[in-house]
Amino acid sequence: MKTLLETIDLRKTYKVGKVQVEALRGVNLRIHEGELTAIMGPSGCGKSTLMHILGAMTKPTEGKVLINGQDIGTMSDGQLTAVRRDKIGFVFQKFNLLPTLTARTNIDVARHIHGTAGSNGHDDHLAEILQLLMIEDKMGRRPSELSGGEQQRVAIARAVANKPAILLADEPTGSLDSRNSDIVLNMFRQLNQRFKQTIILVTHNPELVPYTDRLIQMRDGVIVNDNDSSWNTESELAPQPALGV
Amino acid sequence: MNRQMIIASLKARPVRTTVGVLAVALQVILMLVILGLTTGISTETGKRTEGVGADILLQAPNSSLILALSQSTMALSYGDKLRQFDGIKAVAPVFTLVNQGAGLEIVYGIEPESFDAMNEGFVWHKGGIFKGPDDLVVDDIYAQAKRVKVGDRVELLNHTFTVTGVVEHGKGARLFVPLKTAQEMAGQADKASLFFIKVKDPQQVKAIIAELGKALPTYKITDVKEYTTMMMSNNMAALDAFISTVVFISLCIGVLVIFLSMYTTITERTREIGILRSMGASKGFIMSLIFQESATICLIGTVVGIGSSFLIRTVIQSIFPTLMVMITADWIAKAAMFAILSGLIGSFYPALKAAAQDPVEALAYE
Repeated sequence: MKTLLETIDLRKTYKVGKVQVEALRGVNLRIHEGELTAIMGPSGCGKSTLMHILGAMTKPTEGKVLINGQDIGTMSDGQLTAVRRDKIGFVFQKFNLLPTLTARTNIDVARHIHGTAGSNGHDDHLAEILQLLMIEDKMGRRPSELSGGEQQRVAIARAVANKPAILLADEPTGSLDSRNSDIVLNMFRQLNQRFKQTIILVTHNPELVPYTDRLIQMRDGVIVNDNDSSWNTESELAPQPALGV
Repeated sequence: MNRQMIIASLKARPVRTTVGVLAVALQVILMLVILGLTTGISTETGKRTEGVGADILLQAPNSSLILALSQSTMALSYGDKLRQFDGIKAVAPVFTLVNQGAGLEIVYGIEPESFDAMNEGFVWHKGGIFKGPDDLVVDDIYAQAKRVKVGDRVELLNHTFTVTGVVEHGKGARLFVPLKTAQEMAGQADKASLFFIKVKDPQQVKAIIAELGKALPTYKITDVKEYTTMMMSNNMAALDAFISTVVFISLCIGVLVIFLSMYTTITERTREIGILRSMGASKGFIMSLIFQESATICLIGTVVGIGSSFLIRTVIQSIFPTLMVMITADWIAKAAMFAILSGLIGSFYPALKAAAQDPVEALAYE
C-alpha cells in the first residue's frame, strides 16, 4: 500500500511557564492509503499533540511530517492552512459544529472554504455520504436541534465532504453513549470500506479497536506498540525508544 | 455563503447586533441632525440676508456673522453719515432681537421706509405694515407654523404684539417690529445692530466697501453676496471647526462601539474561529468575515440612522416650525461613508486578533 503519511523522529516540546514539557519524544510512523488506524493511549501520552501535527494544525519542534512526500514541518502558516483545506478532515470529540448554522450550512461552509461548493462531482459525493450517514433529513436543523450522535454524523459529513486524503478523528465517541458510539464507529468503517477513506482515530478507549485495521499504542510521547504488518516487514526507520526512556 | 454566516451570527447575538446598529445609527443621527441644524440655520440666514436686497452689511466691531447673535450696537446717527457717502443709494438700520423661547426666532426692528428701499419692499400676503409701536409683521412660514393671522395677539419677549400683516418669507427675519420698539425692548435707544446699505451701482460695491473701510476701520463691512456664499457653503472657519468636531466625535463613537462589539464577539467566538481554521479557512477569510459582519452592522445602522434623522427633523420642525434642518444628499453620503469607515477601523484589531488565533488553542477554548 502507498504511504500517505509518514513521521520521522517527530518531537514536540511545549513550554509551560518555565518548564519544558516533551509531548512527543521521537515518533516514527507510516500511515498507508485506505487504512483505518487507531492511535490509542492514556491521557497525556501525546496522542492529541500527534493528531494536531498530523493535521497541520501545529508544527513539530523537531523531525519531519510527510504528507504525500511533502514535509509540512517546514511549511508557512498559509501553506499549512492549504494542507488542512485540501488534504485533511477533522472530527472532534465535542463535534465542533458552528452553532448558529444549520447542518447543511455547516457542511457548505467547509465546501465553500475548499472551493467545491456547487461542483457536480462533489455534490454527488456529498449525497452519497449523507445517505451513508443517514442524516439527509436532518440538514435543515441547527446543532442544538440534533442528538449527539446526529451532530457527530454531521461533523463526519462535513469532514469528508471535500474528499480529504486523511480523516483525523479525536475521541470521536467521547461524548456519545454506547449505542451512538457503535453507530458512529460503524460509519467510520463504512466510509473506509466504501470510499477507501484513510482514517486515523485518536482515542483512549479500547472499545474502538475492533473497528480498526491497525492499532498504534502510545505512552509518554512515544509509540510503544504498532501492529502494522507492513511496517514490520518494510521498516527502514530506527527502532522506537523503549517505554519510559 | 459568507452572507449566510454573517446573518446567522447577527441573529444569534440580537443584543450585540441591536446595540451595534443603534450606536452606528446614533453616529449617523449626530452627524445629520446636528450638522443639518447648523447648516440649515446658516444657509437660511444667508438666503434671508440676501433676500433683504442690500449690497453691503455694516456691523459694529467684533460683531458675529450670525447676525442675530451680535450684541454690539452702533449709534443710529451712523445711518445719516453713511447716506452722505458717494454711491450709496439707501441705508436701512436694523435692530436685531432673538426670541430663544421658541427655537431661535430672529426679530428685526426696522424702519419700514428705509427697509423697503433696499429692494421692492415686502410682498404682502395679508394686511399691511405697522401702525403702532406694538404692531408686528410676520412672514408666511411663521404665520402658517404658528397659525397666526392678522389681528391676532402674539407674545414675544415678554411683550404683546398685534399682527398687522403677513409677508412673503425671505427678507432677513421672520418677525418684524418697529425699530423704536426693538430698541426700547433691548434698552438701547437710538442704536442699531446693523445697517443694510444699497449702492447706486452694484459694480462699485468693492470700491465703496474700501472707502467705508477707511472711514470706519474697525467696523465689520461685508459684501452681502460674499456673505451669502459663505453662509450657504459653510465656509466659515468656526463652522468648519464645529463640523470637524462633530464628525470626529461621531466617528469616535462608531469606532469605539464597533471595536467593543467585535472584540467581545471575537472572544466569544474563539472556538468557532478555531473550527473554521481547522477546516482550512485562511487568515484572510477570517478577517474578511469579521469586516463583512461589522460592515453589515454599520450598513443597517446607517439606514436606521438616516431614517431616524428624517424622523427627528420632522419632530424638531413640528416643535420649532421655523427651524431649518438641512439633511442633504451630500451629508447622507458622508455620514454613510464615515459609518462604514468607523466599522472598518473599529473591527480592524478584532479581525487581526481573530485571524492570528492559533487553531489548536482556539479549539481548546471553553
